[in-house]
Amino acid sequence: MDLIKPDTRIDFVGKMGKAVFISWALILVCIISLIYHKGPNWGVEFIGGTEVHIKFSKDIKSDGIRTILNSAGYAPESVQQLGLPQDNNYLVRFASQAVAFEKIQEFQNKMEDVVKTVPEFEGANVLRIDYIGPKVGSELIRKAILSVLLGCVGILLYLKIRFEFEFALGAVIALLHDVLITLGAISLMDKEFTLTIVAALLTIIGYSVNDTIIIFDRIRENLKKATKLGFKELVNEAINQTLSRTILTVITVFFVLVALFFLGGAVIHDFAFALIVGVLSGTYSSIFVASSFVIYWKNRKRVPV
Amino acid sequence: MRRNLRVRAVLILVIFFLSLIFLTPTILGDRLPNWWGRVFPDRGIRLGLDLKGGVFLLLGVKAERAVEQELANIKESVKEELSKDKVLVKGFESSDNTLTLNFFSKSDLEKAKELETSYEDTVDIDENNLSLTFTLKDSYITELQKRAIDQVKETIENRVLEFGLVEPTIQRAGADRILIQVPGASAKDRERIINIIKRAAVLEFKIVKDAGPDRESLLAKYGVKSPDELAAQGLSLRSGDTGQENEKFFITENEAQVTGQYLSDARLVFDEFGRPAVGFNFRGEGATRFGELTGENVEKRLAIVLDGTIKSAPVIQERISSQGRITGNFTIDEAKDLALVLRSGALPVPVDVEQEQTVGPSLGKDSIEKGRLSMIVGGMAVVIFMVVFYKLQGVVANIALALNMLFIMGFLSSFGVTLTLPGIAGLVLTMGMAVDGNIIIFERIKEELRLGKSPLAAIDAGYERSFWTVFDSNLTTLLTGLILFWFGTGPIKGFAATLCVGIVSTVFSNVVVARIISDFIYAEKKVSALSI
Repeated sequence: MDLIKPDTRIDFVGKMGKAVFISWALILVCIISLIYHKGPNWGVEFIGGTEVHIKFSKDIKSDGIRTILNSAGYAPESVQQLGLPQDNNYLVRFASQAVAFEKIQEFQNKMEDVVKTVPEFEGANVLRIDYIGPKVGSELIRKAILSVLLGCVGILLYLKIRFEFEFALGAVIALLHDVLITLGAISLMDKEFTLTIVAALLTIIGYSVNDTIIIFDRIRENLKKATKLGFKELVNEAINQTLSRTILTVITVFFVLVALFFLGGAVIHDFAFALIVGVLSGTYSSIFVASSFVIYWKNRKRVPV
Repeated sequence: MRRNLRVRAVLILVIFFLSLIFLTPTILGDRLPNWWGRVFPDRGIRLGLDLKGGVFLLLGVKAERAVEQELANIKESVKEELSKDKVLVKGFESSDNTLTLNFFSKSDLEKAKELETSYEDTVDIDENNLSLTFTLKDSYITELQKRAIDQVKETIENRVLEFGLVEPTIQRAGADRILIQVPGASAKDRERIINIIKRAAVLEFKIVKDAGPDRESLLAKYGVKSPDELAAQGLSLRSGDTGQENEKFFITENEAQVTGQYLSDARLVFDEFGRPAVGFNFRGEGATRFGELTGENVEKRLAIVLDGTIKSAPVIQERISSQGRITGNFTIDEAKDLALVLRSGALPVPVDVEQEQTVGPSLGKDSIEKGRLSMIVGGMAVVIFMVVFYKLQGVVANIALALNMLFIMGFLSSFGVTLTLPGIAGLVLTMGMAVDGNIIIFERIKEELRLGKSPLAAIDAGYERSFWTVFDSNLTTLLTGLILFWFGTGPIKGFAATLCVGIVSTVFSNVVVARIISDFIYAEKKVSALSI
């Protein structure tokens, strides 16, 4: 069975101008969202504090949780829904002063009382309590940023060895594009930026470059053949030749990600969301960002096209 | 027969059986026959705290305190040596890692300089006018801190093991941190475990000079305004918890004549009113010292100081050398725990809890169920897709995928990699990514067929020409996986581990396993068409 007819010739390169415009527009939306939300919604791992993961047996809204906890004497800093709405899973975050490490036991006891006495909280179950001191948090932010950068630099260096420099650079620009789009999507959906999201970002960096490599490999192979085609046409041909595998490889990953998104449970839900956005963006950017950058670079250097 | 077919087949079979052996304990669980453990490894896949439930603690060790203590020790010994030599010291000043001695005369300073030889391994000595500055060497500071952290780790290990917790892990994390994981601990055990782990457990015995209901009146008796001034007289003020209203504060000597390091045993006992208390014994030198201390101070009061607080201050009736008792308002558990930490010894430097996670058991059960479900649904989708799309070659890819998953699980099991919730997600993700290599190769084979190559030649060319694409694309993912392994702790490390193992096994399955299966199918046959 063929997904794409073997003789397909879609003019991707001709659409690159529009694609670049779309990419910039999307990135702008992401940046505006990040500015509007005052940066990523850092999870407790990064800013320190105490976070409690509660599963409710009733459909209770964030505001309801907030009111009841306030009257119990613990004012939450944020109340966030986790997973699918019907899961009734919530993350409640307290500033480190509100529920300090020494007060966790007291808070737990209070919660047991609340679950017994307040009808809305009936059957609620505290699944997990996280306490993170301020020192660990700031270190983790630094390490998270460093590891994302390291990932990009590592790939740049490796591709530099395997391909020419402009290919490596194009691939990494496409990666940064994917990372930004993913960050923006998380920010737009007002999801928490947690350690798991950092894991998702690094996976996106490592995985979404695969499609780019498939295309680049073919461009290189075609370059070796005696051909009358100009560079642009050659790139376009390479994209078309590899189009079916570019799409098919994403489809299989998409299957498992959708399964994780809907069935994987509250904790994995956001992780799957980030990966879905990143992987889709990665496929798009392999064709339109990475390849168009290589064409742009070759033109800039006045290689006859 | 094609090249090396037999060798490759044997290799795969060996890995297959090894994986099965390593996985059997996980699959059978409690039904594992007894003889298995005598012949084969009997550990199943370890589940992380997020799946099993339990307490995770990251302790920051205040290793810099070890340096302060060492400086104080040097000061004491220098003082002693100099007074033996009748050298007068005008004063001592100390900072983070230096100790400065000021002298009245040049001749005193010259005499003091003779000390240099006994300290040359640990400090650098600088002379400046009428003062000598001892600076701890960097290498020595590193050694001091390392020793302190090692000792803290060992002490905590002893405590945790003695408490009887199941399979706790205690690891160094970074330069000055210790990571402790106690799987299966419930929220109720939490506080007890934390108290046992982080308690300094410094036990001191001091003679009581005075006691009173408030700080100010006690300080006034000695003509001073602050505890610091009191310290200059060789005394210290401490709060006490002896249960008597008119005795909230005590004045004792600074120096402890006997400390907890001489204890030979500590255990739960009951006092004459049947209340829980901690009984202790001394050994050798400790017994001698304790005997001297109590013998010389009969009818005076002895303060039993635990972590800076006076627990009780009984009147010494007669000379005691080998045993004693700490009373206080203990519950049975508290007294048991205190005895335990006293037995395992004091922490040489204090620790701070920098991160804590307590996971209830229900989160893990729920997560495993959901992980399993998404693995089945996602996996089935991939398997069906491959068969629909690639027919017989799709079946080949699916067999390779099944073997791949078996190898990954076998590897995780054999190397004791901990499976975490993100790790399960990583396994599910690997299923989707694993067939990528097959797709790249199959699409290439189709292309070669279109160019008019014979089926076998197309397979050869397809595998050969796609090798570097498959290799490169997996290597980049491996690279980020390794970075993630370095960056992450706990659950994230678990994800990175499954991802990395998954990638290595996937490349093997894509280029070796899938290939050999199709070689077997098409070997020694006249193939006119490929089912792809």
